[in-house]
Amino acid sequence: MLRKSSRKPLALLAAATSLALVATACAESTREGGDGADSSEPFVFAAAGSISTLDPFLTSDGETYRYSRQVFETLLRHESGGSEIVGGLAEDWEQSEDGTEWTFHLRENVQFHDGDALNAEAVCANFDRWHNLTGGYQSSNNSYYWQSVFGGFAENEDEDIPDSRYVSCEAQDELTPVITITEYSSIFPGGFSLAAFGLMSPSTLEAIADQEITGEEGNYTLPEYSQVAGTVAGTGPFTVEEWDQDQDEVTLQRFEDYWGEPAGFETMLLRAIPDETARRQALEAGDIHGYDLVAPADVEPLEAAGFQVPTRDVFNVLYMAYQQEANEALADLEVRQALAHAVDRQRIVDTILPAGGEVATQFHPDTLDGWSPDVQTYDYDPDLAEEMLADAGQEDLTLEFCYPSDVTRPYMPAPRDIFDVISADLEAVGVTVEPVTYEWADYIPRTNSGECPLYLLGWTGDYNDAYNFIGTWFSGYNSEFGFRDEDLFEAMAEASGNPDDAERVAAYQELNNQIMDILPGLPISSSPPSIAFAENVNPPAVSPLTQENFSEASWK
Amino acid sequence: MTTPPSSQNPAGTGTRGGAAPLLGRKAAKVDRLAELMGERGDDGHGAGVWREAFLRMRRSPMAISGAVIVTVFVLVALFSPLIAPYSPTAQTWGAEVFPNRNVFVGPRAENLLGLDNLGRDQFSRMVIGARQTLLVGVVATLVGFCVGALLGGSAGAAASLGGAWGRRFDNVVMRVIDMMLALPTLLLAVTVAALIGPSLTTVMIAVGVAQIPIFARLLRGAMISQGSRDYVLAAQALGVRKRRIALAHILPNSMGPVIVQSTLTLATAIIDAAALSYLGLGNPDPAFPEWGTMLADAQRFLSSAPSLAVYPALAIIVTALGFTLLGEAMREALDPKVRK
Repeated sequence: MLRKSSRKPLALLAAATSLALVATACAESTREGGDGADSSEPFVFAAAGSISTLDPFLTSDGETYRYSRQVFETLLRHESGGSEIVGGLAEDWEQSEDGTEWTFHLRENVQFHDGDALNAEAVCANFDRWHNLTGGYQSSNNSYYWQSVFGGFAENEDEDIPDSRYVSCEAQDELTPVITITEYSSIFPGGFSLAAFGLMSPSTLEAIADQEITGEEGNYTLPEYSQVAGTVAGTGPFTVEEWDQDQDEVTLQRFEDYWGEPAGFETMLLRAIPDETARRQALEAGDIHGYDLVAPADVEPLEAAGFQVPTRDVFNVLYMAYQQEANEALADLEVRQALAHAVDRQRIVDTILPAGGEVATQFHPDTLDGWSPDVQTYDYDPDLAEEMLADAGQEDLTLEFCYPSDVTRPYMPAPRDIFDVISADLEAVGVTVEPVTYEWADYIPRTNSGECPLYLLGWTGDYNDAYNFIGTWFSGYNSEFGFRDEDLFEAMAEASGNPDDAERVAAYQELNNQIMDILPGLPISSSPPSIAFAENVNPPAVSPLTQENFSEASWK
Repeated sequence: MTTPPSSQNPAGTGTRGGAAPLLGRKAAKVDRLAELMGERGDDGHGAGVWREAFLRMRRSPMAISGAVIVTVFVLVALFSPLIAPYSPTAQTWGAEVFPNRNVFVGPRAENLLGLDNLGRDQFSRMVIGARQTLLVGVVATLVGFCVGALLGGSAGAAASLGGAWGRRFDNVVMRVIDMMLALPTLLLAVTVAALIGPSLTTVMIAVGVAQIPIFARLLRGAMISQGSRDYVLAAQALGVRKRRIALAHILPNSMGPVIVQSTLTLATAIIDAAALSYLGLGNPDPAFPEWGTMLADAQRFLSSAPSLAVYPALAIIVTALGFTLLGEAMREALDPKVRK
């Protein structure tokens, strides 16, 4: 019995396999046939990670924003290839003197992908939706940028969420929404340019109004509209046609009624290839036409082979954080200073980071106003480090040190090598390092919640204000670092609330000095990430904020 | 020389034939080994067989090359701290290599195999890596051997001596083993490793677990084929207790194929361990040298420093080859069909 019954499915399986093989063979041969670079050929771009949601509001992840920037637009945006804020969907804007009333003048004749027109009401519908979100949406995992820019919600369900800074959004007339906030902060106007606040059409908002985020903290199920293409509509140069989660591929289609210059590609595929070597090989093989996060060592060979490898300006910081609650030895300033002196950061910059990288003296790239030339510096001096550790009574210090196992980030090529160098340096001064590694998806929540005493992480700026760097980390108690310093937190709030640009910049410099005296972590480097394109592509202007607009790109 | 009665053929009953051809082949190979070795009890002087096999192996070039490779490998692994000129984790020459600009340092007087991408002595890393590899190989094989022998031995003893209930027990155990055997070894190992989380112990357990079904099936087959021998019948007729028959008579006579398999398994274990480390499921400390990890790491620099990948790759291949040659030669030397 068994013999007979088990053979049939096998035969079927074999038949199916061979059919599938034939089918793929066919598909491949047609692809080879149509290799001409006309505008109908899909442009394939590989990223290091997959996107996590179709609704950018629900995430803080750069890989998702690469997709969402092509589909959704924000009131303001950054100039192409720069970090200056310019009009996006709002052609022009003004703020009241005290900085609490923001009036936007929308572009005329802007259409959403589903045919809705962009007007003040549509803008306010979006902001009101965000402000009134409830339940799982209020988790900082699902509304990270809303909470960092606008504080809380209409009704906060958790007392840890700060009060909302958002008051109202009113349509002054057809094309003039006015957004009111409780108090000025230097987050604005930069906050209005964040990709998380990409506007969706009123019809979309209506369709998704009753979709909830279910599940528990750390294990949320995102609503269906954010996982299956078809519901969401923005105003961007591309519409989202399909998101194949098994293949990690998003299909974008040119939006013919786009208000601005239509996109150069009819179809664009965003694919995830986590391995950097695999990305390079895919580009060399012609499977893809561009990819992000080029390994520093690959830049020259790729250029020599005729590929275009533009380098972005430096706008990031890589740091090693000290989580003071995860290991009490780190609460001792002398230990933190000793560890800082123990690490040869220059060697990391010289041998691992791309050309143009430099040692960071503070949690702030020097390309941004507010960078201070007078911060306390911690030069490489293993002898001094050893002495200081002995002074602090920590000759036998053992520290867990976390690094991500599976990714490279714009600020951090080869995390493992960087980890290796630092950990060898630390061991050289007598610290016992216990390596811990997580995959990226796991790494962020674990380091954010303060599980790792030492860990590598970094930040690429979202907009051109120091608060986006130092304010992100040190504007209040933060479980990523695990310390309280009310003086610092107050000074930070004061600086960010100062509407005078010059005074604010001076205050930021002072803050940077203060932070480096406290030394909550060791800034390691700022380095320029590269991006690669095939020879027959006119690449988009590369952005220091990694906010490339792919509608600018086209076939040569 | 009598062949065992076909009803006692350790190739097993019904299910195997119907299962996937791959499983069939793998199982058939294991069973064939068990069957061959089971026959050697016939000539009645066990020690002579091993002696004879040793003499035969001494004349086989395959065995000699295998033995040489294995000996060198084991010696290097055991005395690696004495052989390695430098610490494998010290980035002594860290300022001389620039992986970001494709500048590497090849073999030179103080570094026989050059430097790796962080300025560590590649030769020292290879040598210390051998120790890690031997450790993983031996422990993994031991895990597979012990658990497999326990399962297979009890199943085999139950089947040949335990009557109807014994055969039922044997059936249940063997179907579970068959299920494990149906999974590709590496897939099984990856599954186990993913469940426990990355560490060196994980690799040992994972690779060991993947070897369990082979050992279990092998020992059980050999024991069943022994179970039908006259001496077992005689012991039973004399009223020797069943447990004693199984442990003191059948088991010792069935160990031959299992020992041969251990040698072959060491080769597979080394490759599997390297594969798991390569996939990032090994020791999370990247500084500690392990051939699989080194290979995975060097892959990034394949175009500019291919030698970084070639050394560990060659080492893995040659070591696995050594154990395979030795194991195969041993199997051939003990094979009664070839012997006659």
